[in-house]
Amino acid sequence: MLRRIAISCLFAALPLSAAARTRPHYGGTLRVEIAGDAWQKGGLARRLVFDGLTKFATGGAVQPALAIEWQSENNNHRWQFRLRPSVHFQDGSPLTTTDVVTSLRASCAANCPWASVHALAYSVVFTSDSPMPNLPQLLAEDEFLITGRVAAEGNASHGPVGTGAFQVSGFSNGVLALAASDTCWEGRPFVDAVEIRVHREVRDQWLDLSMGRADLVEVPAEEMRIAQQQRLNVVSLPDAELLALEAGESGAWSNQNLRSAIALSIDRAALANVIFQKQGQAAGSLLPQSLSGYAFLFSAERELNRAHELRGGLSAPPLTLAAEGAGAMQLAAQRIALNLREAGFNVQVTGSPNADLKLRALPILGNAPAPALEVLLRAAGQPQTVSADNPAALYKTERDILERETLIPLLHLPRAWASSARVRDLKLRADDSPDLADASLEVAP
Amino acid sequence: MSLRQKLLLLVSLTVAAAVAAVAWTVLVRIRSVFELRDQEETALFVSQFQREFQHRSAEVAQTVEHVAASDRARTMAFELSQSGDASPYLNEAQIMAQDARLDFLEIVAADGTVISSSQWPARFGYPEPAAAMKRDATFLKREELPDGNTALGLFALRSIGDTGPGIRLLGGRRLDQTFVADLPVAPGMTVGLYGEKVAASGNDIRAANPPASLADFDPKRLVGVNGELPGAQKYQALIDAARKTGQQKSAIVYLTAQREDSVNVTAIPLANDSGEVLAVLSVAISRSGMVAAQQHIRAIAYSVASIGILLGIAFSLWITARVSHPVEELARAAEQVAGGDWDARVPQRGHDEIGMLARSFNHMTSELKSQRERLVQSERVAAWRELARRLAHELKNPLFPLQLTVENLVRARALPAAEFDEVFQESTKTLEMEIANLKTIIGRFSDFSKMPKPELEKLDARDLVERVRSLYEPAANGLQLKFLVDLSSEPMPLLIDPELVHRALSNLVLNAMDAMPDGGTITLSAYPRGAHVEIRVADTGAGLTPEECERLFTPYYTTKQHGTGLGLAIVQSVVADHSGAIAVESRVGGGAEFIITLPKAEA
Repeated sequence: MLRRIAISCLFAALPLSAAARTRPHYGGTLRVEIAGDAWQKGGLARRLVFDGLTKFATGGAVQPALAIEWQSENNNHRWQFRLRPSVHFQDGSPLTTTDVVTSLRASCAANCPWASVHALAYSVVFTSDSPMPNLPQLLAEDEFLITGRVAAEGNASHGPVGTGAFQVSGFSNGVLALAASDTCWEGRPFVDAVEIRVHREVRDQWLDLSMGRADLVEVPAEEMRIAQQQRLNVVSLPDAELLALEAGESGAWSNQNLRSAIALSIDRAALANVIFQKQGQAAGSLLPQSLSGYAFLFSAERELNRAHELRGGLSAPPLTLAAEGAGAMQLAAQRIALNLREAGFNVQVTGSPNADLKLRALPILGNAPAPALEVLLRAAGQPQTVSADNPAALYKTERDILERETLIPLLHLPRAWASSARVRDLKLRADDSPDLADASLEVAP
Repeated sequence: MSLRQKLLLLVSLTVAAAVAAVAWTVLVRIRSVFELRDQEETALFVSQFQREFQHRSAEVAQTVEHVAASDRARTMAFELSQSGDASPYLNEAQIMAQDARLDFLEIVAADGTVISSSQWPARFGYPEPAAAMKRDATFLKREELPDGNTALGLFALRSIGDTGPGIRLLGGRRLDQTFVADLPVAPGMTVGLYGEKVAASGNDIRAANPPASLADFDPKRLVGVNGELPGAQKYQALIDAARKTGQQKSAIVYLTAQREDSVNVTAIPLANDSGEVLAVLSVAISRSGMVAAQQHIRAIAYSVASIGILLGIAFSLWITARVSHPVEELARAAEQVAGGDWDARVPQRGHDEIGMLARSFNHMTSELKSQRERLVQSERVAAWRELARRLAHELKNPLFPLQLTVENLVRARALPAAEFDEVFQESTKTLEMEIANLKTIIGRFSDFSKMPKPELEKLDARDLVERVRSLYEPAANGLQLKFLVDLSSEPMPLLIDPELVHRALSNLVLNAMDAMPDGGTITLSAYPRGAHVEIRVADTGAGLTPEECERLFTPYYTTKQHGTGLGLAIVQSVVADHSGAIAVESRVGGGAEFIITLPKAEA
């Protein structure tokens, strides 16, 4: 009998011990290493320190953040976002609608999705002459994160102030130290602190990860296969960004045939299979198949003969091509230059920001195609309201955009991070940033 | 130029020419020897350099072979043959090139397409024509780079593994500034590399596009260890010659106007398999050491030559002094003799021609002196005789009436008193007249012996002549004489005693008037002649014989019936007192012309 009781107790305790092992622990410092700057647009620190009025959930849906609810009126010409009460900045000052309006006006001086933004009691009101059907998704963008008032004189060393889960605690020797904010409206994060080492080469990041000196490092798309071969803990977000070529529309490039010839000259398969090591998908459309459902209708094949025909012996002026970023982006730019030379274009890769052609990685955010397309176009510097409410209309919109050949899609690429074994519950948000507020660290035995 | 100076110049020039000829011959010989040695040294250095270059080529081949034989390469080849997926090896060439320290490395598939390229990673999948040929030796190749430029390299092609044509490695080292800097160079050697400029290939990225014609020389493309080679433009002719002919060329290149800044340059063309010159390697060896040695020797030669020339000049001085001194003594003695010193003598030294000349000169002067003394004696006697004759003649004329008058008085004593008184009165008048006449004659002689000292004043010759003309022209008109005056328009200032010179000119004019009793023309003229003024008095009278002309200025010589012969002597004395000269030009029947030359006074 006792034996049965003991065995029963043992089986009863097994789920409890499993639950205890999976329960997140508070405390510890999460060490992150990145190649870029923490405060640049889309930088990790911005996502940890600041919040937007809305945010993307892990699955890509828009959900409330600093705004608890919103509603549109007048056929999406007017939006009213009600502010979450009792939210405080990390310096203790309360978040007000005036702070939100000031921050939004400061972050968007021109080409804003709205015509005006103003505070109305506990709400922030956006108005525009044209409809703004995707405003909640747009406000979840990094560009519209709400930053706090400028630190008072003498307290400038405290750095930027926001309402996020972490607050700046210091910066030294290339390491930005963030401390968990106890007053965060979402609740205190599990880790006590996050240390972000900036401007770290990817290979060095991986070395630090393998040596236990880092907990979270970046994994560029072209390195994902190696990361998997090395059995790293990789969390990735497929189709997180679009590799695209921006072409001007003025001067010698007013001839659309030349732009079409460029689009047809590029060997996307070689880019995807070799340079990005089969981690990307050749793209003929702006939105990926997983998001739009119609991407297969746009051809991503290389048609060199057709490109020659379109060029028709036109002598294009010498072209310059610049790529954002380093590594695979530069290599891709060189490959594109080679492809274009085959088609009769004299192309030179340059570092100049005023190049004729620009190779860029554009974000694909959220799980809704129309807002994602509008966000993408906005990031590409070609802002356009996308108000299609069905796939056919969206297809037509995208086709119209692509026929201009000013934005030539090349690849849909994933974004990935690799973490150490002690990091638990790490997820990527729809904006491909790691959600560190919900991550925790294993307690050392 | 004196005899001594001429001799000195002659001897000095002879010595200097001899020394210079010797020095020049020595220097030319030394220079040719140095040049020959320099060329031999350059050839040696170039030969060593070429061996080093070949050694580097062999190194490239060995390195590529070593990489091809490495486990990494073999493993990659095996995995590729198994999977057929080349994408994982995109960066393999970069890693291998980095490990092997190769500037270029391409992994080429069996079909000749690039699997991985260290120098242009984006070129995967494109064909590599250089891998199509089978070759063991290293070769030169111009490699296109992603930035649009081309680079020249020494390449070697090796297969991975031993089995037939499979995966190959095409590796090489860049021929550039770094390669040049790596080459061992001797002191004073400068190595440069001239790379041909190639236009961007445009469409066909792998096509070898040899330039249709030789591009213009671009000095910026000639690089040395520290970048652009200093004075690169000076190498143009040599490098162009090597580029055009494809043959090694050598020449001396002068980098500046200074000889020491010259280099002995050998241009070695570097060509690919088809003979196209892709670059030219220039090996320049400084000639500064050789030039410095030459200059040192030249300085010594110049010093020795200068000392030799100075010694030669000193010796010439001594020689010319010895030779010219007796001649100079002779010349001085001759000058003394010419100046009237008949006692001049020269020392008689030795028995050579100079000594003989000195003896002859001394004998000649002594003979001349004795002859002169005899001549003076005879002339003095003749003068005294002439004086006596003139005095006798002049005194005889008044003495005869005196004698007759005295004899009349003696005879008149016998006459009655009244008649005697009358005769006495007439005789005393005659006596007074003749005595006065005697006094006049004696006064003239006295005047000649006591000429006054000139009191000099500044006077223009034109005024002097005009004064004479104005005085005598009225009288001349009455005698059917025509007066002509011909004067220069230029000022002719004279420093003279106006009265004495006026008297002299008057005397000449009066003589001219006397010479033309039947009328004629008197011409007075004055013209400047350099530092002198020439005053001429010409007549159209009967003229003078040459003998008369010679004796005309001799005192007491006259051609007139009643002249004293002192007029022209006085004129000559006046002119001589003014540091001037007087001459006469005449021919019988052609008139006479007296020419007075006086020094011009300062204005």
